[in-house]
Amino acid sequence: MREKETEEEEVKDQHTNISDDTDTLLNEGRYAIRVQSLHKSFRISHEKKSTVYEHLVGLFSKSRGYEKLNVLNGISFDVNKGEMMGIIGKNGQGKTTLLQILSGILKPDSGAVKLSGSTVPFLSLGTGFQPDLSAIDNIVMYGLYLGLTKKEIKERIPQILNYAELERFADTKLKHFSTGMFARLAFSTAVQVDPDILLVDEVLSVGDVSFQEKSFETFLSFKKRGKTIVFVTHSLELVKRLCDRAIFIQDGNIQKIGRPQEVVEEFYNFYDIRKKNV
Amino acid sequence: MYSGRFLKGVPLTRYSSLIFSLAISGLKLHYKNSFLGFMWTFLQPLLFLGVLYVVFSSLLGSRIPYFPLYLLIGLVLWNSFSRSTSSSMMSFVSRRDLLLKVYFPREIIPISTTITTFIMMLFDLCAFGVFVALFHFVPPWTILYLPILLILLFTLTLGLSFILSVANVYFRDLEHIWGIVLQAGFFLTPVFLSMDIYPPSVRHILVFNPMTLVIDMAHNIVLYNHMPSVGAFGYLAVVSLAILGLGYMIFKKFESKAIEII
Repeated sequence: MREKETEEEEVKDQHTNISDDTDTLLNEGRYAIRVQSLHKSFRISHEKKSTVYEHLVGLFSKSRGYEKLNVLNGISFDVNKGEMMGIIGKNGQGKTTLLQILSGILKPDSGAVKLSGSTVPFLSLGTGFQPDLSAIDNIVMYGLYLGLTKKEIKERIPQILNYAELERFADTKLKHFSTGMFARLAFSTAVQVDPDILLVDEVLSVGDVSFQEKSFETFLSFKKRGKTIVFVTHSLELVKRLCDRAIFIQDGNIQKIGRPQEVVEEFYNFYDIRKKNV
Repeated sequence: MYSGRFLKGVPLTRYSSLIFSLAISGLKLHYKNSFLGFMWTFLQPLLFLGVLYVVFSSLLGSRIPYFPLYLLIGLVLWNSFSRSTSSSMMSFVSRRDLLLKVYFPREIIPISTTITTFIMMLFDLCAFGVFVALFHFVPPWTILYLPILLILLFTLTLGLSFILSVANVYFRDLEHIWGIVLQAGFFLTPVFLSMDIYPPSVRHILVFNPMTLVIDMAHNIVLYNHMPSVGAFGYLAVVSLAILGLGYMIFKKFESKAIEII
């Protein structure tokens, strides 16, 4: 009896596979991002072995010394072209890891990721900025990291400085910049890149109120121009205001995917229920 | 399985401009804040070689012909090797943030670091040229082989840089170990000693060290009008290319895991 059930399940599985395949065929070109059963785990060392000496000693001791931490447990989802997808969840639930895998920075243990279209990850602003180089030098380097050509960046330098309201400081070394100026420069350079897919990790809260408003406008304009955006944030209000769909990630699984309103509600419910239980 | 696209246009040109911009900014950072600015790129090796010349040539009133120049060219090449491998070794761990937040082919980092130090060596060679002029020395025509030798040195250094940049993530004390290796290497290569001081049995082993060959050949072609033997040259070329190939393979195998534990 049991065997029959599993057989039936297998048949079912095959069916879903087939329908999935036809789905792919029919909708070729509809998806910007396809993620299929993505797994990722990290080794968390208890006794950190990071020197030759410790590795040699480790050969003779029997303790395993590390623990496997499953960060993503088989996540699958699609993002349509031109869609803005919000990703929410508490700290340490795998949001940033997911974004790093989508960006090609980390490799998944198993599963498939397919992105169609040029992609730029904005995982943090101003990475690689050198405090000892001038604003212009840093704009050029940052632009190159993000995938612009040197010519493209050089053409856009006046525009970038203008947008950041930092024309007066073009030749100032970055170490003399305030935190806000630093962030404005980074954001202004980043938005010059014009990819099909943007992967964004919490970068809208930059600078003072007026600059925040400006960056928000820029973000909306990306959306209006039909860019696909994956947006990780803790601001549930922004998700409701901006996103077409949202994903709620819990323990490396998708707890809920769907309309932002519903997903945010699920998020509130989930943690409320937990609180009551505790 | 991963498929995505981060480039517009031709990958090679895009990445070569990233490589060279990184290399140049590495140079700028090296001479940051200095009063004399870019002049230091020429002055520093000049003064450095001057000091070493004064110290060593009086200590070792040597039988080696053209000893000051013998010493200086050896030092320039050895320093380049040592500086290149040491800074490539740190190149990965010192860019943790960048590696975790931005995507670009990771090999760009050791490549650009090696180029930075190679450019610094070219400045050192200019300073060496000043000394050549001061001694009224006319180099023989065999000096034309020097660029080929430098390319082999670059190949060898880059291969080691690939290995060291990733290995240093796994073994953080490699820094100290490599420092000792470099110190030992300094005495096992003919930088300021002649190979003749070693007994023949030791010498036969030492010539398997590619850096020994590089410096020995540099002496011969720059100072003594002496062509390197085809065998030695072939050996050096094969070893350099093999280390580059091996280094790249090791790098590709471990880079993604290295980023996770960096």
